[in-house]
Amino acid sequence: MFRKVLIANRGEIAVRVMRTLREMGIASVAVYSDADRASLHVRMADEAEHVGPAASSESYLRIDRILDAARKHGAEAIHPGYGFLSENADFAAACESAGLIFIGPSAASIRSMGSKTAARRVAVAAGAPVAPGTDRGVAFEEAREFARTHGYPVLLKAVAGGGGKGMRRVDREADLESAHRNASSEAAGAFGNPEMYVEKLIERPRHVEIQILGDRHGNMIHLGERECSIQRRHQKVIEECPSPLMALHPEMRASMGEAAVKAARAAGYYNAGTVEFLVDADRRFYFLEMNTRLQVEHPVTELATGLDLVKLQIEIAAGAKLPFTQDEVAWRGWAIECRIYAEDPSNNFLPFPGKITRLAEPSGPGVRLDSGVYEGWTVPMDYDPLLAKLAVWAPTREHAAARAARALGEYDVGGIRVNIGFFRRILEDPEFRAGRLHTGFIEEFFARTQAPEPPEDAETVAALVAALHATARNNGVEPRPAGVSAWLTTGRNELLR
Amino acid sequence: MKLDLTIDGREERIEIGNGRFRIGDGPEREASVETPQPGIYSVLLDGRSYQARVDEGAVAVNGFRFEIEVRDRRRWNRQSRGGAHAGAQDIKAPMPGKVVRVLVAAGDAVEAGQGIVVVEAMKMQNELKAPRAGTVMGLAAKAGATVTAGEVLATIM
Repeated sequence: MFRKVLIANRGEIAVRVMRTLREMGIASVAVYSDADRASLHVRMADEAEHVGPAASSESYLRIDRILDAARKHGAEAIHPGYGFLSENADFAAACESAGLIFIGPSAASIRSMGSKTAARRVAVAAGAPVAPGTDRGVAFEEAREFARTHGYPVLLKAVAGGGGKGMRRVDREADLESAHRNASSEAAGAFGNPEMYVEKLIERPRHVEIQILGDRHGNMIHLGERECSIQRRHQKVIEECPSPLMALHPEMRASMGEAAVKAARAAGYYNAGTVEFLVDADRRFYFLEMNTRLQVEHPVTELATGLDLVKLQIEIAAGAKLPFTQDEVAWRGWAIECRIYAEDPSNNFLPFPGKITRLAEPSGPGVRLDSGVYEGWTVPMDYDPLLAKLAVWAPTREHAAARAARALGEYDVGGIRVNIGFFRRILEDPEFRAGRLHTGFIEEFFARTQAPEPPEDAETVAALVAALHATARNNGVEPRPAGVSAWLTTGRNELLR
Repeated sequence: MKLDLTIDGREERIEIGNGRFRIGDGPEREASVETPQPGIYSVLLDGRSYQARVDEGAVAVNGFRFEIEVRDRRRWNRQSRGGAHAGAQDIKAPMPGKVVRVLVAAGDAVEAGQGIVVVEAMKMQNELKAPRAGTVMGLAAKAGATVTAGEVLATIM
């Protein structure tokens, strides 16, 4: 087994990987940019190396600097996390040439699956159904031709994409050019590749994906599905395992699992990976893409199966065989994850970086928090706004939803905007509780629901607190020691009559 | 002590002191208040427990956010409101971030819905569009500049 592993990532996923490394007795090496010197992943690591300025293109995406850091610290393997270099075939190849183990699939598998258009071709060859689309990147004019032939709405997607970046739904031709331009520019910034392809949009689909796991000895199994239909801007925000759909139609897990394993085998895949599908109203499923890395939502699979996917990834990279067979995988209870983002749900979910002035984190039965932040830390504007993943487990879906809502109620982040209150609304929504999910759920949710009424007297309390706080400030007594009441101090100055 | 508040756009007066308070012409009420941490308040009112946190310009109570501005009546300064020219429309940064592209020049005639400025934060680009047809005046946005939420980037006359 490795003695030291470098994590080529930052934030909550770097912290999550380090936790497993520590449990395995493996030393961890963090990398950081100028913006991340004080970040939690650097504080938690055994060793750390600076890799450049804040811009990820000059730091976390610099293959040469990451490899130099690994050599300097004597790391034997590199875990890429997700995002950044995790689906970069050149990086995987560069690791191998440098004599380092890349904790992920081969460069060749990433090439055939990492590009969305190439993946479509592999999936078709493996017999998986796909939605109509171009099988390569196209310029605006060609996208317009496709849309004229197949009709609107269409979906523009980055060939090198992931996580909803560089993706746009387009409903009419007038919007196509600006959507193509902006998505392409976003893709160039995020992935270093501006190419866009276009697909016919499937209306009201569910997003259901299959976690697969393969070793370097030709064994490949699946760990069941995750439903990730609750999305904003084509990016998942709530995920669960099992899918409510599969709870009603258990035979779908086997058929989708088999299709996923076939597609992954066709790409010569090993390590952990995810095959994503869209499922239409008639429960027909279409191959969407394959993610050749760990997923953000992996904790729900871990909670439902009792496995540690990062540990399995590391063991597979070190040459181990899968320690169990398909028949030995069992699912128990229900897990739900909420992605906690620095963003403002009341303003189109726009990102909201800044200083975290207050942080209270949830705990208690069945709660798992994979966080990368701390009170007093400033969330940089240079990276993805994911702060933490809150995952809960309970015996039933109903209980898991109630538990997630309860945990969110204990979660308080001050100084920046976060989506915690929004998740509480979704989790208590009757449509969500009934499991009637589709990827347009959030848009419809906003259209059909009103903002909830605050509890009785909440506004009165807000007014009182604002007045007391302003008074304490004017008296220059902030910060106040615990237990000293601004309230009574004020009373001594001026009695209410 | 009497203070004037603007709470979610509504004007209110609050009197506080000696463990009691009154809002507007409402009844005088008693509450227990503790500050376990700076900016964090625990309030017991009529036997119910509330958790409040003070943010810049807002108070969150049990997760519900109220925009509140407080003015001490003794320090009351009548502030000039707005000052905007009639018909001028400001285009403001919706989030803290960086200006990546300016799509127009000062003096350009623009149509409603035309892209004016692209702001990026956390790899998310947001194209700000002209709210109506007009002429671009006072183009403050510069490519590469860092902006705060609410900062005026351009004005359409």
